[in-house]
Amino acid sequence: MTDCGCDKAKAELEEYLHRELSAQDFQDVTDHLDNCDDCSAEHLVGLTLTLKMRTACHETAPQELKAAVLAAITSR
Amino acid sequence: MPTAVLSRPATGAAIDFSAMSDERDDSPEELTEVEHELDAVDGLASRRGRTRSTLPSDQLRSLFEQQAIPFMDQLYAAAMRMTRNPADAGDLVQETYVKAYAAFGQFEQGTNLKAWLYRILTNTFINGYRKNQRQPYQNAIDDLEDWQLGSAESITQGRSTRSAEAEAIDHLPDSDVKDALQSIPEDFRLAVYLADVEGFAYQEIADIMKTPVGTVMSRLHRGRRLLRERLADYARDRGFTVPEPATRSKR
Repeated sequence: MTDCGCDKAKAELEEYLHRELSAQDFQDVTDHLDNCDDCSAEHLVGLTLTLKMRTACHETAPQELKAAVLAAITSR
Repeated sequence: MPTAVLSRPATGAAIDFSAMSDERDDSPEELTEVEHELDAVDGLASRRGRTRSTLPSDQLRSLFEQQAIPFMDQLYAAAMRMTRNPADAGDLVQETYVKAYAAFGQFEQGTNLKAWLYRILTNTFINGYRKNQRQPYQNAIDDLEDWQLGSAESITQGRSTRSAEAEAIDHLPDSDVKDALQSIPEDFRLAVYLADVEGFAYQEIADIMKTPVGTVMSRLHRGRRLLRERLADYARDRGFTVPEPATRSKR
């Protein structure tokens, strides 16, 4: 168990969420989140925000656009 | 995954890149323009001596259709968040594909095609579309203090408050999330979009946006905080109980 404590966890939560921490730092924050309701609730907000954005921003390109792009390429 | 900060090449390179891209605007020939653009964002590859593909054009085209065209929904979604309207988004995507196709012979097979396409998309947007609607404060946005952005250090405090906040975000309609994204400054929005929606690594975002990794991290952090604050506002408007944080500055 290498719990890093609240200060370090809070400072690194965003990098943790984006998988930008070293393996050791990642483990330290993971261990802390297992033990700390406050930090894991904060992490949940961040995670929810990310997942929500992913769902909300989904788009399907219009068929006309696909056709136009293919036509533009073929004409070259 | 290795940390972006550790693998970051010399920061001086980023400054050179933007200087180069400023010069290429009036290049007469489209292919030359795209090559400059790609050199500007991918200095390493050009230094390695990138060679033009020797594939016949029909094979190059079918490879392009197989590999690049499947990213169209994603590129269109990104273009929608950049331009904020379907007509401009469609034009931007089409222009991106035409440029990408013209330069596809220089694309190094086996490297990250999605990141390569996003570089072209982002450059095309920044150098073309954004230029026409540039807001005067845009360049200085990174220098603004947090209070000027209407954001406070702390969003919500306490476990139960945060649980309520997460639940509220989860229940908001997609349109609120898009509106909130549209409302934050463009450079922040791009960083947040590339990291959270597209899942690019910080270093990849730095290459796409031509900024140091530290700037990416700062834009992400501030962008996400602003977004969270706007979403809390929307949630309250919709009757969720998300307490107003005491430390928040007024807008």
